[in-house]
Amino acid sequence: MRALIVLVGLVITIIVAATGVTRLFRMGMQQGYAPAQPIAFSHKLHAGDNKVPCLYCHYGARSSRHAGIPSSSICMNCHGLLEKQTMEIERFKEAVQLDRPLVAWTKVHNLPDFVYFNHSRHVLSGVVCQSCHGPVETMQRIEQAMPLTMGWCLSCHREHAGVPTSTLERAARRFSETPKPATGLDCASCHY
Amino acid sequence: MSDHCNSANDKLVTLHPGRRGRSRSAAQNAAESPHGDGSANGGAGDSPEYWKSPEELHNGPSLRGEFPGGLPSLDHNEQAGETTRRDFLTLMGFTATAAGLAACRAPEQKAIPLAVASDEMVPGVANYYATTCGGCASACSLVVKQRDGRPIKIEGNEASELFGGATCATGQATVLSLYDSERLRGPLWQGNPVEWHEVDEQIAAGLAAARAKQGKIVLLSSTITSPSTREIIERWRRAFPGFRHVAYDPVSATALRTASAEAFGRAVIPHYAFDRARVIVGLDADFLGTWLSPVEFARQYARGRSPERPPTLHVQFESGMSVTGSNADQRVAVAPSALGAVAVALLARIARRANEPEVAAPADPVEAAVLDQVADELWKHRGESLVVSGANDVAIQLVVHALNRLLGNIGKTFDVDRPSLQRQGDDAALAALVEEMQRGEIHTLILYGVNPVYDHADGAEFLKGLSRVALSISTADRRDETSAAVQAVCPDHHFLESWGDAEPVAGYLSLRQPTIAPLFNTRAAAESLLRWIDDRSDHYSFLRDYWKTSVLPRKHALLAFDAFWDHTLERGVLDLGPENDAPPPDAGGGDWRAAAAVLRDESQQVAGAAGAAGHDDRYELALFESVPMRDGKNANNPWLLELPDPITKVTWDNVCAIAPALATRLGLSDGDVVSLATPAGTIELPAFVQPGQHAHTLSVAVGYGRQQVGKAGNNVGANAFPFAKLVRGARRMWTHGVTLTRTGRHEKLAGTQGHSSMEGRPIVLETTRDQLGHPDEAEQLPNLWSERPQGERSWGMSIDLDTCTGCSACVVACQAENNVPVVGKDQVQRQRIMHWIRIDRYYSGSEDNPQSLHQPMMCQHCGHAPCETVCPVVATTTSSEGLNQQVYNRCIGTRYCANNCPYKVRRFNWYNYTQNSDFDYHMANPVGRLVLNPDVTVRSRGVMEKCSMCVQRIHAVKNAAVKRGEPMQDGEIKTACQQACPTDAIVFGDLNDPNSQVARRMRGERTYRVLDELGTRPNVAYLKKVRHGHTT
Repeated sequence: MRALIVLVGLVITIIVAATGVTRLFRMGMQQGYAPAQPIAFSHKLHAGDNKVPCLYCHYGARSSRHAGIPSSSICMNCHGLLEKQTMEIERFKEAVQLDRPLVAWTKVHNLPDFVYFNHSRHVLSGVVCQSCHGPVETMQRIEQAMPLTMGWCLSCHREHAGVPTSTLERAARRFSETPKPATGLDCASCHY
Repeated sequence: MSDHCNSANDKLVTLHPGRRGRSRSAAQNAAESPHGDGSANGGAGDSPEYWKSPEELHNGPSLRGEFPGGLPSLDHNEQAGETTRRDFLTLMGFTATAAGLAACRAPEQKAIPLAVASDEMVPGVANYYATTCGGCASACSLVVKQRDGRPIKIEGNEASELFGGATCATGQATVLSLYDSERLRGPLWQGNPVEWHEVDEQIAAGLAAARAKQGKIVLLSSTITSPSTREIIERWRRAFPGFRHVAYDPVSATALRTASAEAFGRAVIPHYAFDRARVIVGLDADFLGTWLSPVEFARQYARGRSPERPPTLHVQFESGMSVTGSNADQRVAVAPSALGAVAVALLARIARRANEPEVAAPADPVEAAVLDQVADELWKHRGESLVVSGANDVAIQLVVHALNRLLGNIGKTFDVDRPSLQRQGDDAALAALVEEMQRGEIHTLILYGVNPVYDHADGAEFLKGLSRVALSISTADRRDETSAAVQAVCPDHHFLESWGDAEPVAGYLSLRQPTIAPLFNTRAAAESLLRWIDDRSDHYSFLRDYWKTSVLPRKHALLAFDAFWDHTLERGVLDLGPENDAPPPDAGGGDWRAAAAVLRDESQQVAGAAGAAGHDDRYELALFESVPMRDGKNANNPWLLELPDPITKVTWDNVCAIAPALATRLGLSDGDVVSLATPAGTIELPAFVQPGQHAHTLSVAVGYGRQQVGKAGNNVGANAFPFAKLVRGARRMWTHGVTLTRTGRHEKLAGTQGHSSMEGRPIVLETTRDQLGHPDEAEQLPNLWSERPQGERSWGMSIDLDTCTGCSACVVACQAENNVPVVGKDQVQRQRIMHWIRIDRYYSGSEDNPQSLHQPMMCQHCGHAPCETVCPVVATTTSSEGLNQQVYNRCIGTRYCANNCPYKVRRFNWYNYTQNSDFDYHMANPVGRLVLNPDVTVRSRGVMEKCSMCVQRIHAVKNAAVKRGEPMQDGEIKTACQQACPTDAIVFGDLNDPNSQVARRMRGERTYRVLDELGTRPNVAYLKKVRHGHTT
């Protein structure tokens, strides 16, 4: 009997502790974060139903560290020609005419401080947007699908680590015409 | 507390010899053998014994302990004694709770896109624009890095033939002056903010009155290198018959121009070619530090003295130790009053060799043997030598011109056909103007880029005159000493907000374009000047028209203007080639014999007066421009205020440099405040014992002591400009009959010198020309560490101590690139300066005439890094590419790494330096923070930081290579310090690539690694300094 109490107690303690530790490790993690946006923009409608390519609006992802939130003028490239008008589209039109930023969007994907993530480097290496952002084309309201933790980044970086370790590999790389993008595992790949 | 501190210190002292004994190497034992003169010793590898301050020379490193003068942080009670254990626990409990609660949900972040997307600007991608520097009148060509619409970094423009991608410390720092929150937000009339049209109406009314009364209108400006602005001045001349333009420079070259007019028929500054000179004689000309065009001269100098080229000789005669003097092969300390005698003595010797009629020379002011040797070398290298003088004395400049003429240097190392236009000030014209103003003869005075109340010899007189001017206008960007007293302040743009052009050397043009929309309601001064003569065109269209009508025809080529304009704007620079004007008739060198006679008489008079009066307590006072502060125009720039002077290593102050022997005699030591009195006034400054200082001369830097420049720069040091009086039509930068009295006060200098002592170990090495080609056998040292697996690349750096002049451009460049905070005088005194790269300056030989050496020191990126092994949280590691990486979010601030770093290059954030009103510099206000580089983390309190080898630049180039699908090229990555360096002393690249420039340089015989005997395997290597002794 006494042994049973001790055993149950031990199990409960372990469960509580394990949950606590797991919770602690998840502290600051924002997976599932889906704040309301000032304009009810639907990625499902644009990227899913109408199949607008991601990089059409987020063109910065090809050339810059930031993918960027499109300017109102980008919206007008299509909405200037489309017949269907809503109140919110009218607001965009006005913003472009006045050259005044329309809204402050709420950022969904926030990396911790001290981390530098470069969109262009990943996009140019053929990483698809969904690998990190989840099935955006199905989302009415955008939400953070992945944990965006360092361990999660590294799981992919480890898998694709192409850092040559032998002289032979190094030599082979030097003679190859195009540099094969190798994923960095160095701290300074992201932290500087 | 203090007792405890002392006893700890004693312990360190007693422990010291043993510690030192262990780290001694054979080379160092040899180095410590006694010898008289460091320059004279021969044998391979044994460098002279170096020392950093006279104190160290006399007491020796072992007597100083680890913390000379005690632990600085314990000096006074810095918010001390107030935090009890109980407070600490309370706070800790609160913090833990608060942190736990706050961590539940990250703060919401907002993102605001542009309303209309820009073709040119992608957020996060840097753009680069070619422009022209406005930091001083040298007008160097720049390329400005702009991120998200704001300029954040100044780089040199490699397309420029004159400046070739190099910059100076001032140029690097000008980007911070743009974001000075204390600039005026708009125009002022009678001290009150008004609209532009209101101030324009007032000025129009005033000018109409001037025209009606035929009153005199004067534009008082600094040197104007801009041809288009000169055209505007021409238009004023046509618009108002009573108009006159007066130019002046606080540190002027009037005498040089006057002498050229007399000698060559053109009032110009010759364009020098130091790279073609095998013998350079400098007479108080700090051409590597501040004189005329230091960036260009430093480039030429380093090129000419490359060890691959024939040996050269540089002899410098000067009173105080300058950057140039510290680089000279031979430096001779002379009093400023004897400089003319040195020039005449050299002239007499050269004239004798040239079979010219005898020149009567005064008694030799320095050893005759030295003068004979210099004259021999000069004569031997006729046509490939150069004599320059920075003295603002017409007689000296005439003699120097005559020397160059007799040596056949004209047209070879000394060009008057394509002269320099970098100084155009006329001291006598300003003096005449002040008199006219005081007589009430000037109706309108426009001050453009000048601040005479501060930098004129008699600011009070100028102010008196200014009050009698009917209409006074200033284009100053702030209410400074002068603009506070004028009626209309019409603030000019910062140069990074302006259009413009420059012609620093005849035929070499450079365009200026804005890199940001004006931050405040300012207006280009050129546009203001146009507006006031009823020309409504804006500055851009005026500039374009001017180039269309006046510059394009000078190009002598059939070109469509639009294409020509776009191309030039993109390139930034344009070489029009020499003008085809007929050269002016040879003026025969002017009356240099009379000038020599004047100098001879004068030197005899000064010597006689000193002898007759028996005044041993009257000194000569030499004024000079210091590298950080120059003429004081950028005195509110915290980067420059915190930049250690290349020689004294003092920050946030100007000091009175005093010779060691004199200091001993007077019982003065560093920081004792002395009062310097002359009939022109009295100033109080802390004394600084300066090795190499002339025995009877005191040196004080101008540019300090601003009263109205801003929070950072007000009342830093004392203003020495009032001592520079007009003599023979030029401001003389020295005076005599100065009495020195001690005030009894003592100020702690914010020096960076003492806290990075070499402790007697062989850190700087040098060799001589004769030893080149006979390398020492390198000793293979055992290593405790196992070899590290090597990655694809291995980044390394090679620093050539032979070409490093100590100019400190790299220090500011690094600060700008890497968001290095400014910590203020108090923290520098506590040895908490944050610079990632510092320049250590060592002396060797006797303290009366030492040899100097500058060594840039930053993280050495050790292969076996001592910092890594002691970090309990693995916050610092070596990357697969050989970089020693510091991870800020891992660091918990134990500071073990800094303690274990043998190079003392790690910096700890003792405070939050951002958004902290205790550190009220640029990072404390939202305007100043615009200068921060978004590609580098702004570090917070409690973390360690250090040089990262500009890893963000490495990433940028890697990204670009991936984007274009081609491998990176060698030399494509340039660290900030490397990019800024005028002498290419720093080379960065991949050591695994045997053909990279850095790998090739590292294989050279001069390469050594600092403290290699510790087995740290640094990726940074140095090239030994080469001493040139003779030219054969």
